[in-house]
Amino acid sequence: MASDNGAVLKAIADMLGNGLETQVEPFPETNKEFSDILLQLRQLDPKDLKAKLVVGGFLDHPYGPEKQRCLECMYYLVHRKWCDLPELAVPVEPEWWCRLWRI
Amino acid sequence: MANLLWLQGGACSGNTMSFLNAEEPSACDLVTDFGVNVLWHPSLGMELGDNLKKLLNSLTSGEMALDIFVFEGTVVNAPNGTGEWNRFAGRPMKDWVADLAKVAAYTVAIGDCATWGGIPATAPNPSDSEGLQFLKRKHGGFLGADYKSKAGLPVINVPGCPAHPDWITQIVVAVATGRGGDLSLDEFQRPKTFFTSFTQTGCTRNMHFAYKVSATEFGQRKGCLFYDLGCRGPMTHSPCNRILWNRQSSKTRAGMPCMGCTEPEFPFFELMPGTVFKTQTVMGVPKDMPTGVDKAGYIKLTAAAKAASPAWAEDDIFVV
Repeated sequence: MASDNGAVLKAIADMLGNGLETQVEPFPETNKEFSDILLQLRQLDPKDLKAKLVVGGFLDHPYGPEKQRCLECMYYLVHRKWCDLPELAVPVEPEWWCRLWRI
Repeated sequence: MANLLWLQGGACSGNTMSFLNAEEPSACDLVTDFGVNVLWHPSLGMELGDNLKKLLNSLTSGEMALDIFVFEGTVVNAPNGTGEWNRFAGRPMKDWVADLAKVAAYTVAIGDCATWGGIPATAPNPSDSEGLQFLKRKHGGFLGADYKSKAGLPVINVPGCPAHPDWITQIVVAVATGRGGDLSLDEFQRPKTFFTSFTQTGCTRNMHFAYKVSATEFGQRKGCLFYDLGCRGPMTHSPCNRILWNRQSSKTRAGMPCMGCTEPEFPFFELMPGTVFKTQTVMGVPKDMPTGVDKAGYIKLTAAAKAASPAWAEDDIFVV
């Protein structure tokens, strides 16, 4: 399982490192907008990693003037390096970010 | 003997159900051990029709002493301020409430509806409901801000949807045994003994709150319900995790977010779609912080807590 996560983590890192354009904007300012993104994610093929990254608005670096990052996000599990938001459920690095960030 | 009268306005009877389930002390203990004489109660009263009217009139006239007047439910003012939508014993209930509150030694509001209006008073408030001495946060309510019972206390508010059985009976015992003057009330007239600590006080998920590990679905045993599922435990005053429900558990212990039902604003956000069981955020940061915590402090605390969190905090340590 750990090696599987490692492979997925590397695949995500490669896609982001190679300049994958994701939907960073608009940031969901309201719960309704947040829920709409979750709805889009639920309609994806769970194996379609690239689509998850695009809809989630992933970045491989902190975001914004407050340098938001996965490390402080409430869905991030520090020891597993894992995003625990059920609609994403992917391994992530602490310095990454996505637009479903919540604290 | 202390004469107690319990009436019901715009209510679902939830607080009556709660009262009848009390254990420490029980409703029976009130009678047998604490000298409470239940003159009438919607589920226990024997008198009907003219006999009930006679009883109520003997109280309002002063012929019989009314030591404790308990009211459950809202005071209904509709239509057009007449109160005719809630008639009882031949006249609008609001008229009985006005007359009985004048002669009561103590007036006790049980449950959210009687304290601040609760769900019936939520916009658009079609029944023109209000609590005895509050409408939501606004002091005044049906009896007015200056109301004091004959013992010199304002309405004693025991909120909750419903109020915990033992909060009800313990307050009744305090009043019936002459210790009403010892009650210390907060700014919303809630007994401080119950409503100074938070719902979060004693919650079994406190370590997950401390290490910022979130529950993401109802019923999960691990994770705090505050971050995502709209739990109001850190900013709600109640002893729900100190005086347990059914002596066994609480909502948060069972994986169900606290809805803040002991606070005047309940139900929060007027039940707009998407507001129940979902933490409301602005740019990813909770709108309502734990009481006494500011945004900058919250962000710093989160960073430190995440960085320091132990591996076990991410496991379901309750299932082995």
